Amino acid sequence: MTSAITASSLTKRYGRVRAVDAVSFDIQPGEIVGFLGPNGAGKTTTLRMLAGLVRPSTGSCSLLGSPVPGAGLREVGTMIEEPSFYPYLTGRGNLRHAAILHGGVPESRIDEVLGFVRMERAADKKVRAYSQGMRQRLALARALLWRPRVLLLDEPTNGLDPAGIAEVREALRTVAAEGVTVLVSSHILAEIEKLVERILAIDRGVLRYDGPLHGLLEAAGAGGVEYDIEATDGPALVAALERIGYAPVARGERGASVAIPSNQAAGLLARLGAEGVEVIEARRATATLEEAYLKLVGAEGRPS
Amino acid sequence: MSAVVDVVRAELFKAFRKRRFYALAGLYWVLLPVVALITAAVLDRNLTGSFADQNGTIVQVVQGFASPFGLARLALMAPALMSPTAYIIAVALFAGLFIGEERSHHMWKTTLAVQPARMAVLIGKLTSGMILLGLLLAGGLATASLAGAAGMLFLPTTFGGTWGSLVGLFALQWLHLLAALTLAYLLVFLVRSGTLGIILVIFLPALLEGLWAILNTLQQLEPLTRFNAVFQALRLKQAWEGLPQLFFTANLYAPARHPLGAFVRSTGASANADLGPIGNLLGQNLTLPHAALVMAGYTVVFGLWLAWVLHRRDIE
Repeated sequence: MTSAITASSLTKRYGRVRAVDAVSFDIQPGEIVGFLGPNGAGKTTTLRMLAGLVRPSTGSCSLLGSPVPGAGLREVGTMIEEPSFYPYLTGRGNLRHAAILHGGVPESRIDEVLGFVRMERAADKKVRAYSQGMRQRLALARALLWRPRVLLLDEPTNGLDPAGIAEVREALRTVAAEGVTVLVSSHILAEIEKLVERILAIDRGVLRYDGPLHGLLEAAGAGGVEYDIEATDGPALVAALERIGYAPVARGERGASVAIPSNQAAGLLARLGAEGVEVIEARRATATLEEAYLKLVGAEGRPS
Repeated sequence: MSAVVDVVRAELFKAFRKRRFYALAGLYWVLLPVVALITAAVLDRNLTGSFADQNGTIVQVVQGFASPFGLARLALMAPALMSPTAYIIAVALFAGLFIGEERSHHMWKTTLAVQPARMAVLIGKLTSGMILLGLLLAGGLATASLAGAAGMLFLPTTFGGTWGSLVGLFALQWLHLLAALTLAYLLVFLVRSGTLGIILVIFLPALLEGLWAILNTLQQLEPLTRFNAVFQALRLKQAWEGLPQLFFTANLYAPARHPLGAFVRSTGASANADLGPIGNLLGQNLTLPHAALVMAGYTVVFGLWLAWVLHRRDIE
């Protein structure tokens, strides 16, 4: 089967700086892949190279089996960084402009995508009056306008409220179910975790991880998981955890945080009970993917 | 080819929703003929039969700029005789719309993602600019002719004139504007600022040609100056003096300024006066085939340069 997206030793240099350094990956049709990395890691530059906007210094990429730049780009919908529009046109006007510019898009498709992103009511307002969230939705509508076979999305949920984020997630699941390949970067790792099954993680231009989401989580779990525990007696809780062999940090009068190996998590409450501690609540302190991601990119890496 | 057509349709969709096109058209199609007709009416009412009207001079003058042919000729010439010319202002505004706005609204990444064929985008944008300029000129010819025809109701004017030649000059001037449009797109794209690009489009060619005029004056000074010493030593004097024949501005407006002699004669003045270097700048000594060849050369050079930079540049 022809790959939907292929990057082969993709490199982009700006002077002496290697923004992207020999990145290679292969994405099959219908996959939804999350693209993670801290600010300046090279995510957007990679997406720009895939979209044919930036020329690689060395290496190459292809979309749907066609080298970039080339015919494959016509089958791609993109949202790269901040969405841009002609502010003096309405939302519908911007979509109509894009439809004409791309060619071969029936007029009815404009209403279809507006409905898909729930923008029918605001469609006839000038874009200059749109909020950030509305612009994000309109950009997604534009990216879907010509029924692309590949979607390259850079932070598609930026500026959206929680309901909007959930809607975009559902929208992406829907298009992926139709066979569209999606490469999506996002700084909301919890959202990525709910959406994708495969992760590409890039840091300082180098691809650090390419594999299934559960693989990344398992790798992170091997090092330990952090729990916030609350008990009726805080000092007793801390003392018990120390006796068991952990290094807890007291949190308030009744709580403590503790990092434990993931394979010992299941038996923790029982052991605390055996130590005479009455636990009120115990919960994982951070999102699983975020933990894994921060371990991968190091202490200075921050999700972007 | 279909990609170019798509780009043209999209750009015109956008352009017809901007006020600047209608403002330009209003000034050119309505204001110019109305002002000309009012001026002609005032002349006709106040000076016909007066001391100034010897041998029917006033009728000739009014026929020269307010008859259907005279007014259409004025619609061709007047935009080229302003400073800066209305032609270059229109070109700069369209460059601002089609190229400058892509940057100011951060639209390049969107435009080239929606339509990835960069050369089709470039050709489509040039074609759109030429269509708008063509509409302006054709509309100018039509409205001026109609206004002149309406003027025949209250002015002593007739329909006569060398119409075929005039329409040819309109068409030639439109073709010459392709060089200006290509230069404008190139400058706006290179400087990455719509406003600065528009300013450069309007003033850069005139500035360079003005510098030539200053240097030319300096190198003609006696006694020997450093300038003319250098020129004499390099044996560049002849080439230097022949340079205005290749000037962008003079050749660009050659078709529009071509009927100037006939117009001046129609007002009773002598068009044979030697205007010196200013005559060169006005293109008085340029033939139309020469000007067309020079502008074709400019178009090719600017066009290739523009195609190269658009093809090579990373869109950030």
